[in-house]
Formats: sequence, structure tokens, C-alpha cells
Amino acid sequence: MATKPKVAICWLGGCGGCDEAVVDLNEAVLQVADAVDFVLWPVAMDFKYHHVEGLKDKEIALSIINGHVRNSDHEEVAKLLRQKSQLVLAFGACACFGGTPGLANFTTKEDIFNWVYRDAPTVVNPKGNYPQPKCNVDGKELTLPEFYEQVYALNQIIEVDYYLPGCPPPPDLIANAVNAVLTGKLPPRGSTLAPHKALCDTCVRNKTKPPRIALKDIKRIHEVEANPDTCFLAQGILCLGPATRSGCGEVCMKINMPCRGCFGPVEGVKDAGAKFISALASMLDVEDEKQVKDLVDKLDDLAGYLYRFSAPVSALVRKRV
Amino acid sequence: MSNFEPKLVCFSCKFGWGYLGDEAELGAQIKNWIPIVCSGKVDAAHVVDAFKSGADGVLILGCPEGDCHYQDGNFEARKRVYLLRKILNSYGIEPERVRIVLAIDPEGKQIPNYVREMSETLRRLGPLKQVRLPGRQMAAAKAKK
Repeated sequence: MATKPKVAICWLGGCGGCDEAVVDLNEAVLQVADAVDFVLWPVAMDFKYHHVEGLKDKEIALSIINGHVRNSDHEEVAKLLRQKSQLVLAFGACACFGGTPGLANFTTKEDIFNWVYRDAPTVVNPKGNYPQPKCNVDGKELTLPEFYEQVYALNQIIEVDYYLPGCPPPPDLIANAVNAVLTGKLPPRGSTLAPHKALCDTCVRNKTKPPRIALKDIKRIHEVEANPDTCFLAQGILCLGPATRSGCGEVCMKINMPCRGCFGPVEGVKDAGAKFISALASMLDVEDEKQVKDLVDKLDDLAGYLYRFSAPVSALVRKRV
Repeated sequence: MSNFEPKLVCFSCKFGWGYLGDEAELGAQIKNWIPIVCSGKVDAAHVVDAFKSGADGVLILGCPEGDCHYQDGNFEARKRVYLLRKILNSYGIEPERVRIVLAIDPEGKQIPNYVREMSETLRRLGPLKQVRLPGRQMAAAKAKK
């Protein structure tokens, strides 16, 4: 037992989908469980954080951390695991880029609290109570984690050694990543354990893409019956494939959904949304600025569409107030 | 705010702006001036990167519409700016902080004027709020002590 490498799997601000993706390794997860000693996996096993606190520094060989950081509890757990681990793998879009919860960076903490605890039609809160990090009840102090002003990606809080994007990451890349750690055949630190190319490069629909995409109109996926074999962009449906890393196995394409960007920017690019703006602009087949306006203004939330998984790591990070 | 000197980055296309002027002389007059080959070369990523690096505004000077050496680079840039402005708005950044002018000025004498004009706008808007990532000194670390 003592010689097996220790592994922690932990969620911060995650939905559980990433943990589910690990279980989706099916029988292979049993082999992994044979090869390693789990020391923490809140979703699946009953370990406590004080067990981890009791370990020596760097005693854990690998911590697989999913979810974003939004409150002081997330931050504390992330820092604890960093201290106790030799390697930290940011697992899934939230840990790598902030993920869909990162869309909250387009609004403020104040607006979120006002909506959730005051303005939403289902809220009954006559005393106007808002959660506080500390409060006294019957002479006892109760505490809650502090909710931060914005969503953070994991590497904005702790040092991260490897990245595995996706919402959630696909089983083949998970298996590769775990094997790479177990066999010590790891790429340079800071690498993303996924292919470097853009999704369009591996997309089967690519061959149906015309030499120049010229959009007269932009449609949303639910407004049309998309042709299941043709490039989405050629059909006037926004697909983030040109600005998104491949490696997902095109699972969305296969169920006739355009790419939403969960694998983040391609290698060497920091801001996927900005890259897509440049691509999209050249696809708009318009004569003047008025036509641009007519075409683009009907998109409800362009920033949300382009930064669906990556707002916290984008160049502009979050909304200014 | 009266002492605030805005940091403006100015990209200008070499085919339309200042190609007859003395680049060194113009460069001395215009801070953060980046002459480029075609305004269509300015990627949206360059603009957001300028903001990230501390710019308060970005000005792009391209050739007159229909007059691009590369067919339509200037119009591509104009479309890009339109999209970018929408994005900036979502980040709570005033869209006026990015501007594109499509015209021609071989001597480049108008460039300092455009820069001055936009700097006035930026002076009125004030400095762009930078987001500082607190990284390793956040609340939980402090609470532990």
C-alpha cells in the first residue's frame, strides 16, 4: 500500500460532471483505483479535509482539481491541495478557464446577491437578509465562506502543472493523462494534455466548408433544422470551432450541435473570444456598417456566446463597475 | 482627473497614412504609434491585449472605404471594431475607447490631430479600470493567520 502513489480528486465550484467523467472511464477506473491510493474524492468517497491536512507536504502525487474558485472555501481547499501535492491537474473547463460559471464575470456580486436574495420572483425575504461570512445566533458565531467579487480559474489562485479542458474532459484524454502521470511520461509543465489544433482541423464537416464563408444572416441552433453533415458556419449558425482547441471527439457535432468552446483557446492563444471576433467579422457578408448592425444586434449576448467557458481567463477578465 | 494623461495606442495603415512623412519625426510626436501594413492586420486580440497592458484607448487609422490595397482589409477592420465595441460594453468598458477612422493622409499630419481628439474623449472617460488578480493574497489566506 505504502508504495502506491496518492491521488486526490476534488471539486471546487464544480457541478459534479467532471467527477462523473472520471467514473465514465468504466472498468478502467478500477485499474486506476488498483494502481493508486485515493486520499480525497468528496463526490465518491468519505475522506475529510483534515485527513489531507495530516499528510506531509507533497505527499500526494497528483491532485485532480475541477471547478472554478468563487469563494474562500474553494480557495482554501485549492491551496491545501497545492501544498500537499507534487502535481496539480486543472481538470475541466471551469478549473482551466472559469467555465460557464465564469459568465458571472459579466455581472457583479452585488447584482447577483440582489437578484438571488431580493428581486427574483420566487424570493420571499421580508427582512432583507443577505448571507454574511459571520453572524451570531444565540450567542454562537456561525460562519460561511466569503463570496468573491468574481469567478477565478484555478491558475489564478494556485500554480497549476497541467491542464485538461472540456466540459467534461473526454474519457480517452483522461486515461492518457492518468497514464502519463503513472508512467512518468509527462510533457513540460504548464502543458495542456490535449491536441494543439483547432477543432475545425479535425471536424468531419470541414470538407463541406466553402472556400469563403459569407454570412447574410446568423441563425440560432433552435431556429433551424441544421443539416447534420454540413459545416455549421456555412449554414449561418455560430460555431466556435475555428477558435477552439480540438480533442473533444466532436461529440457536439455528432448530435448536430455547434461548438460552444469548452476546450478553450487553441495552443498559443490566450483570448479565444477575441480570436473568434476577428474570424466572425470576416465571415459577415455585408456592404456597410448598417448591415453589420442589423446582423449582429439581434444576437442577445455576443460576449456570453464567445466567452461561454473562458471569461475569467480572457484579457479583460470581468465587468468593470 | 485633470492630471490624467490617457494612454492611447494608435495603429495606422502605411498605405494611407504618413507614407510621405518622416516616420521618425511623426513617431516623436505620437506616443504608442504603430504603423502597420493594412488596418485589417489589427486583430481583435491586439486590441484587448492593448487594454490588458494598460491602454485607455485604441485608435485604428485605415484607408478610405473601397481603397484597400488588399481589397477589403479596412472594411474587415471596421466590422471587427463594431463587434469589439459590443464585447467591451459587456465588460463595462465604454465602446468609445476603440475607434476606427477610414481616410487618407499621405503626409501623416492629421495623425497627431486624431490622436489629440481621441485623447480628449479618453480624458473625459477617465482611466480604464484595470482588473487586478489578487492571486495569492486572498481572503482565505488572511483569515488563516
